Amino acid sequence: MPNKTKKSVKKRVTFSDDTTTTVSRSHNKTRSDFIANHPPVFIRKTFKTIPWHLLFLLYYYVKLSKNYDIITLLKMLIPSQFIYLMYQFNKSTIYGNKRLKLNITLSLVTIVGSFLLGFPILIIVILCGAPFVEHLPLSWLLSLHISYLAYPALYSVFNCDFKVGLWKKYFIAIVLGGWLSCVVIPLDWDRDWQAWPIPVVVGSYLGAFVGYSIGAYI
Amino acid sequence: MLFRLTFIFLIQLLAIYFFSLGFFPKKNVLNGASTFNYNVSLQNNSKPVFDRLILVVIDALRSDFIFDKHNSNFHFVHSKLNSGEAWGFTAFANPPTVTLPRLKGITTGSTPSFLDAILNVAEDDNSSSISEQDSWLLQLRRFSNHRIRFFGDDTWLKLFSPAENFFDAWEGTNSFFVSDFQEVDYNVTRHIQTQINERDQWDTLILHYLGLDHIGHKGGAYSKFMPKKQIELDTIIQQLYEEIIDENSLLVFMGDHGMNDIGNHGGSSAGETHAGMVFMSPKLLQSRPFENVSVPLDTPLNDDGEVNFEYMKQIQQIDLVPTISTLFNVPIPKNSVGITISEFLPFLDNDTRLIKVWENFRQLSILNNEIIDKDFKLWDIDKLYLYMKEVQQSLTRSATNYNYTKLAIGYVFVVLSAILISLLTIKEMQFSSIMIMLVFISSMIGMSTFSSSFVEEEHQIWWWIITGTLLLIIVSRPKKKTTYFSSLIIFICLRLIRGWNNTGQKTVYSYVIGNLLDETPSIKWSLNCVTILWLSILSTFDYLSPLAQLILPVIILSYKINWTIVDKESIPDYLKEMVKVITKYLLKEDHMVLFENALIPTALIVYKLFSILMLLRIFLLVIKGSNKEKFIKSLFRDITMFLLYLSPSRNIPQYLLFDIIGRCATQILKDEFKSSLYLIPIVSMILQHFCFFQFGGSNSIATIDLSNAYHGISSDYNIYIVGYLMTVSNFAPAIYWTLFSWQYLYSKSVTHKNTNKWEIFAKSKLPFIFFNCIIGCCLFASCIILRYHLFIWSVFSPKLCYYFTWNLFMQGVVGWIFEMITVAFL
Repeated sequence: MPNKTKKSVKKRVTFSDDTTTTVSRSHNKTRSDFIANHPPVFIRKTFKTIPWHLLFLLYYYVKLSKNYDIITLLKMLIPSQFIYLMYQFNKSTIYGNKRLKLNITLSLVTIVGSFLLGFPILIIVILCGAPFVEHLPLSWLLSLHISYLAYPALYSVFNCDFKVGLWKKYFIAIVLGGWLSCVVIPLDWDRDWQAWPIPVVVGSYLGAFVGYSIGAYI
Repeated sequence: MLFRLTFIFLIQLLAIYFFSLGFFPKKNVLNGASTFNYNVSLQNNSKPVFDRLILVVIDALRSDFIFDKHNSNFHFVHSKLNSGEAWGFTAFANPPTVTLPRLKGITTGSTPSFLDAILNVAEDDNSSSISEQDSWLLQLRRFSNHRIRFFGDDTWLKLFSPAENFFDAWEGTNSFFVSDFQEVDYNVTRHIQTQINERDQWDTLILHYLGLDHIGHKGGAYSKFMPKKQIELDTIIQQLYEEIIDENSLLVFMGDHGMNDIGNHGGSSAGETHAGMVFMSPKLLQSRPFENVSVPLDTPLNDDGEVNFEYMKQIQQIDLVPTISTLFNVPIPKNSVGITISEFLPFLDNDTRLIKVWENFRQLSILNNEIIDKDFKLWDIDKLYLYMKEVQQSLTRSATNYNYTKLAIGYVFVVLSAILISLLTIKEMQFSSIMIMLVFISSMIGMSTFSSSFVEEEHQIWWWIITGTLLLIIVSRPKKKTTYFSSLIIFICLRLIRGWNNTGQKTVYSYVIGNLLDETPSIKWSLNCVTILWLSILSTFDYLSPLAQLILPVIILSYKINWTIVDKESIPDYLKEMVKVITKYLLKEDHMVLFENALIPTALIVYKLFSILMLLRIFLLVIKGSNKEKFIKSLFRDITMFLLYLSPSRNIPQYLLFDIIGRCATQILKDEFKSSLYLIPIVSMILQHFCFFQFGGSNSIATIDLSNAYHGISSDYNIYIVGYLMTVSNFAPAIYWTLFSWQYLYSKSVTHKNTNKWEIFAKSKLPFIFFNCIIGCCLFASCIILRYHLFIWSVFSPKLCYYFTWNLFMQGVVGWIFEMITVAFL
């Protein structure tokens, strides 16, 4: 008789998509077992996930704030991302055939987690060419922005048993936005918004906006 | 395949040939010396305003160095400016702002053609001589029998050669050693006392000081050496003024061009084009056009709050030419585009004043191919000046006439080659992901040629592409875990390389690794030693190892150290001792040969050893049939040593990073992409460009590094050898990455699939030719469309020249001829 003992669900970090690893593993298992062992994670395809607040924040940053006040922007970003997670993103997340309730403790822990994530992101940002000596505080603020933009995705990673595969695309979208936006920096238009790190901040916001909006469809 | 590619490459070369003929035509110059035309006898008999001229040219003397409150230490000049004995101007120097074209402008009054900037680099070329062209030197000499003496930068002697036709006494100084701030100027200053004593024996004295320019190149416009140098020059001006200048003498002191804040020049930024000019004579007190001057002045700002360097009155630098001609009563040189500075007109007699303006007017009109208005003699001076200003503007704008037929032929050829290569690429690569990447890179760089700022900041695009590629590899689920690690290592190395040098026009970081190394020679030289040690130890051993891995590296290292000592940079003592021992051992015959005198013999030994090594390698391969893979690897290492020898010492540690990147990249290519035949040349291409820029190169003439082009070259040098060394030293990182790709292309892992080595050769050439054809299409189009753009001579034309060099040298000489020879031996 083949042994059909239930495997306990292990928490593990993998960068591969869930389905590929799980399908290959559960070759000779029935589908119901598979679902029980590995509850599916997905985002509902709904307009609810569109993070409108990012656009408002951008509008504030570019048009309203004085001298592109990056610190105030960050102060506004953190609570609004929290609200977005609570009312929009988490409600569209399906894990194990049901909507999960917002785990307040975890979401608060994730805020600290995002802050800590800012440091590895700072290293990545510097590796990608951010000025190392001269604008280090600004680069750090930029990486904090990026990591708080990824906050809903990071929370979901924690909340859904570290199934990174599904959430990877949100991180990629933010980084891609930042990467693409670098194009305007060398232009000789002499605009004040070309100063470091304004274009990259704007780019990551737009990347995050696009990412959270269409993430469910990819 | 090889045949077709060769065909396309030839078409591309033809395109380049025709396009360059059409785009850089030699300027038409009017020959012969001009004469007076109106009221000749009156002019001939009138007395000149001044009969003695001292011209002091200070290289790279930007306007703020004379006039600014915070940045000027010319205290004597300030006092004279305030008393009215001196008049100050900000003189606009037409780009290219390098010495040779500017001197041409200052003496003949012509606006430079772009070709002059190239010839400035190829200094020895005879075509730069203007001894036959009309200039105020020629006029003073022939017309007024002035006895002219010259001391200073030997560019003057190149322009006015043979020197004995122009000067009674002269001595040239050269600027091989940019770190020399003192001696180069002392060699000029030491002649002054003699000139003061022999003042009856000359009428015109020209001095050209280089030290300030050297300080700029070394430490930027705000270097700590700058105030001291300015005070030194101020004292010289004071001495000349107080001991020679009388009522009938004029002292002009001026910069031939300015500099930007890093100390480079060649482009068209405000700092580079705004040079200072001061006229000094007691006679100037008679007319006081500038009341209430109180120099030093506040820093002038433009509307955007940037320094615009516009102090005092603005003039064109070439206005000096007709001004000198008028004041010394000689005809205005034929090709002059200048207008006599109007403030000087009151010094002329009432009857000659208008005639002199007519002369200026007539000469400008003829230069502009205009029919002279018959009624102009009725005009008043203001109207004449207004008209002359218009002519001057139109003349400076159209310094060259394009040959449209040749441009069209060139463009048709380049489009043809692009279509052919695209068809061939589609057939060969079949829209694989690698081809998409190639098309993406080519079109990005291609499109960037339409924007002047992207041309100036091309390194940013390469950096952008390189980070994008690496991130893509990381997120695209690599098959092996080691790939993450290798990518991270590559990322760190690339980031270090990026932080090594400042390049481009826009941002100047004060903390770049290169500068930090220059400030701490002990670390720099330890790193250099480690690099050389690493490169020679970590490679395979064979019969030639003692020569290739011990003797040659040691001699090269000692040569580099020796050069640095002669260049007056500080160096750790133990290395100094080492060099002493090695040079003594090398050059046995004379124990007195040290440092300065040892440079050329040591360099010659390096060349000889390197050639012997190459011959022995080929000999071993052909006769003894040694391992082919090993041959390529050792060739790569030997040539790396040679490139290192031609690189600036601050950049040598980069080769260590190159080696690490190379190892990691090989691992990724093997594990993830099975050493794909098309991917290797693309990776090599990206790294070639990226490292070229991070070595300090750019798309501007100003960053061509000449300091490594004179190794082993004595004073009577051959221009072709210098040119060759210059190209190799500037493209050293690109050559490194080209050779890097060979060892994988012609190794077994690739060859066993395609047995024919010539097929591999052809296939590996495909991406680079594709890239170059697409860039050619875009760049030629942008040059044609933007031919009247403000930056055409300072941005787009240099880019065109760099494109030609990438094609002719990197593609043709290194990638085609040299590689073919090597492949033939395999």
